[in-house]
Amino acid sequence: MKRSVLFISLLSLFLFSDAHAEEKIKVVTTIPDLADMTRNIGGNLVEVSSIATGVEDIHAVPMKPSFAVQLNRADLVVLLGLEAEHAFLPALLEAARNPRILRDGPGYIDASVYITPLEVPVRIDRALGDQHPMGNPHYNVDPVMGKAAAKAIADGLSRNYPEHAATFKQNLDAYLAKLDAAIMRWEAEAAPLKGKKLVSYHPDLVYFAERFGMEPAGTIEIRAGIDPTPGHIADLEDRMRREKVDLVVREVQYPAGLAETVAQATGAKLVELPVMSGGTPETRDYISFIDYNLRTMLKAVQGGA
Amino acid sequence: MQPRLRHRQLARAGLAAAVVMSFSATRVGGQTAQELQQELKAMKAQMQELQEKMKKQEELINKLVTQQAAPPTPPTAAENPPAQEQLEKRVTDNIMQKIQPSLAAANKTFPSQFNPAIGLIVDTVASYQENGGGNFEFRSAEIGISANVDPFARGYAIFNGTNDGVEVEEAAIVTTSLPYNLTVKGGRFFADFGRLSKFHDHDLPFVNRPQVLDTFVGGESQADGLEVNYLAPLEQYLTLTLGAYNKIGAENEQVDNNRPRALNRFTYLAHPATFINLNDSSSIDLGANLAYTPKVDDFTTDDMEAGNGKARYLGDIDITFRYTPLSQAQYRGLIWGTEVLYNSENWNTGDETTPVFRREDAVGLYSYLEARLSRRYYPGFMFDYQQALDRQTGDLISYSPYFTIWLSEFQRLRLQYTYLTEPANHESQFFLQWTAVLGSHVHGFRDR
Repeated sequence: MKRSVLFISLLSLFLFSDAHAEEKIKVVTTIPDLADMTRNIGGNLVEVSSIATGVEDIHAVPMKPSFAVQLNRADLVVLLGLEAEHAFLPALLEAARNPRILRDGPGYIDASVYITPLEVPVRIDRALGDQHPMGNPHYNVDPVMGKAAAKAIADGLSRNYPEHAATFKQNLDAYLAKLDAAIMRWEAEAAPLKGKKLVSYHPDLVYFAERFGMEPAGTIEIRAGIDPTPGHIADLEDRMRREKVDLVVREVQYPAGLAETVAQATGAKLVELPVMSGGTPETRDYISFIDYNLRTMLKAVQGGA
Repeated sequence: MQPRLRHRQLARAGLAAAVVMSFSATRVGGQTAQELQQELKAMKAQMQELQEKMKKQEELINKLVTQQAAPPTPPTAAENPPAQEQLEKRVTDNIMQKIQPSLAAANKTFPSQFNPAIGLIVDTVASYQENGGGNFEFRSAEIGISANVDPFARGYAIFNGTNDGVEVEEAAIVTTSLPYNLTVKGGRFFADFGRLSKFHDHDLPFVNRPQVLDTFVGGESQADGLEVNYLAPLEQYLTLTLGAYNKIGAENEQVDNNRPRALNRFTYLAHPATFINLNDSSSIDLGANLAYTPKVDDFTTDDMEAGNGKARYLGDIDITFRYTPLSQAQYRGLIWGTEVLYNSENWNTGDETTPVFRREDAVGLYSYLEARLSRRYYPGFMFDYQQALDRQTGDLISYSPYFTIWLSEFQRLRLQYTYLTEPANHESQFFLQWTAVLGSHVHGFRDR
C-alpha cells in the first residue's frame, strides 16, 4: 500500500511538473546571425538552433537528413530569404513535412521582408551566372540591414505568439539600441575605409561596402557561382592595377590560393573574412561578427595586416 | 515655395503610382498573399527610405539655400526656386533611377508567377565500343515542370524525349500537409527503391546506369502506383516507405503495366532508411529495401520466361558514406556509394514447349568512389557486378574510371572508360557525355 501511495505521489509529481514546465518555442534558423538575433529577441521563450555553423557557403550548405528532423520539430523557421538558401532549405522543408513552417505557412519567417535589396537583376539569364532574381541576398554583412532583419524576426515571433508580443518588442528595442550604439561607433571608425576599392571572391560584401563607403571592384568568380578561368583572372588583375584596387577579400569558405595569387600580382592587400557569425572563433555573435570584419578591414587599410 | 512643394508632391505621387502599378501587376500575376505582403512591405520600406532620403536632401537644400541667401549677394526670391527645383529634380531622378531596375524586374516576373517552374535537360553521349563501334547518342531531352497544386499538394511531371519517342517518365501528385509526418505520392514516379534507381540517367554520377540496376530493377525504378512515406518522430532520422505498384522498373518487361490485376499481382515495397551523422563532415546513409510481388505469371510477355505463379523477391541494401568538409563543401569531398541487390524468382529453365520452372537466386552489386577535388573536377571509379537472374549464363563484371568536369552548376562534361567482361564479350568502351540544364532547377532531397 505504502509503495502504491509513493508511486502515485511520484507519478503525480512528475505529471504535475511536466504539465507546468514552460514549453519553449522551437526556432530553427538557417544561419547563426539569425539565431543570435532570435535569441536576443525571444529571450527565455525560445530555444534556437542554426542549420549552418558559420563556416559554410550559404549557397552550399550540406543537405543532411538530421536537419529535416530539426525542422520537423520546429515551431518556426527563420531564413535570410532572397533565395539565399535555395540550395538546401526548400528540399529540407519538404523532407521535414512540417506544414507550419512551409513557405507561406505561419511559422515561415523571412528576415528579408524589410530589406531594400541591392543588385536586383534587370535581366534574368543564366549567362549572367547563378543569379538571385530578388537581389543580392548577402545583406547580413551590413548591420543596418541586420536591424531590418531583427525587426522582421520580432514581427514573425509576435505574429505567431501574440501573447508574448510585448516581451518581443521590449527585447527588440533593447537589441536595436545595442546595435545602434555599435553602428554609430562603426560608422565613425570606418572613415579610413571610404573610397577604398575591394575585390572579393563572390559578391557577398556588396552591402558591407555600401554601408561603409567602399567600392566593390569585381569578383574573382567570373559571375556569381561560376569559377574563374585564367583569362578572367588576367583581365581582373589588369583592371585591378589600372583602378588601383586596395583589397582582395577571401571569404573563408572559398579557396585561399587564387585570392593570394591575385593579391600578390596586383599589390592589393589580402583580407580573410567570414560572411556570417561563427565563421571564425572571434565571431561568436552578430555584433562581434560585424566588429571583426570592420576591424580586419581597417587593419588591412591602415597597414597592419 | 509653392512650385517646390508641388514638385515634391508630384515626385511622391509618381513614386506611389509606381508602387501601385507594381502592386497591380502582382495581383494580375496572382502571387500568393504572403508574397504580395512581402513585396508590399519591401515597397513600403523602399518608400520610407526614399522619403527619408528626400527629407535629408530637402534639409541639405534648405541649408544650401540659406547659405546662398546669405550676404554679400542675397539672391532674390525669384532666382531661388528654379535652382532648388533643379536640385530636387536631380535628386528625385537619381533615386528613381536607383530603384527603377528593382521595380522593372519585379514587374517583369509577376505575370508568370502562376506558371509552373519549367526546366529542360539535354543529355548527349558520344561512345565507342571496341566490338560494337562508335555512336553519337542523343540520349534524352527531358522537360520537367513542377508547381504547388493547392495548399495540400504539389505536382510535377517529367517528359522524356529520346530516339524512341516521347514518354511521360514521371507525373505525380505529392501531399504536402498530411498529419503524423506522412507523405503520400500517387501517379507515375520513381519508386523509393534503393538509391541510384531513383536517379534520372543524367543525374547519375557516371555515364551509364550500373548494369546490375538495369538487370535487377529494370533501369530507373519507374512505377505506376501509390507510395506512403513516414518520418518517425524520433531524434534519429528514420523514414519508412510503403508502396504498391503495377510493377517497378521502367524497362521491366516481365510485367504488363497496362492490364488490371488481382491484388496478389501488384508489387509491394517496404523501405526503411536512416542517417548516421559521424561528425560535422562525415555521415552515412543506410537503407534496406524489399520489393515483393506475390504472384508473377500471366503478365509475362512473349516467352513466359519467369514466374509460374510464384512470388518474386527483390532485395536491396544501400549504403552511402559522405565526407563533406563544411567550410569547403563546394571544393572538397568524398563519396562512397554501394548497393547490393538480391533477386529470387522462378525461371523457365526448359523451353517454350516443355517449360521447367526453377527458383533461382541471383546477387549483384555496384560500388563507386568519387572525390571532389575542386568545384569543377570530380574523378571517380565504379565497379559493377551481377549474376544473371536466371543463372543460365555467366556473370558480368565491369570497371569504370571516370572524370567529371562541371563547367558550371548547369553544364557538365564527363569522360568514362569501361572495361566490360561478360559471357562471350570482353571489351573496352569509351564515353564522352555532355549534359546541360536550362531554366528552372531544384536541389531535390532524393537526389542527394
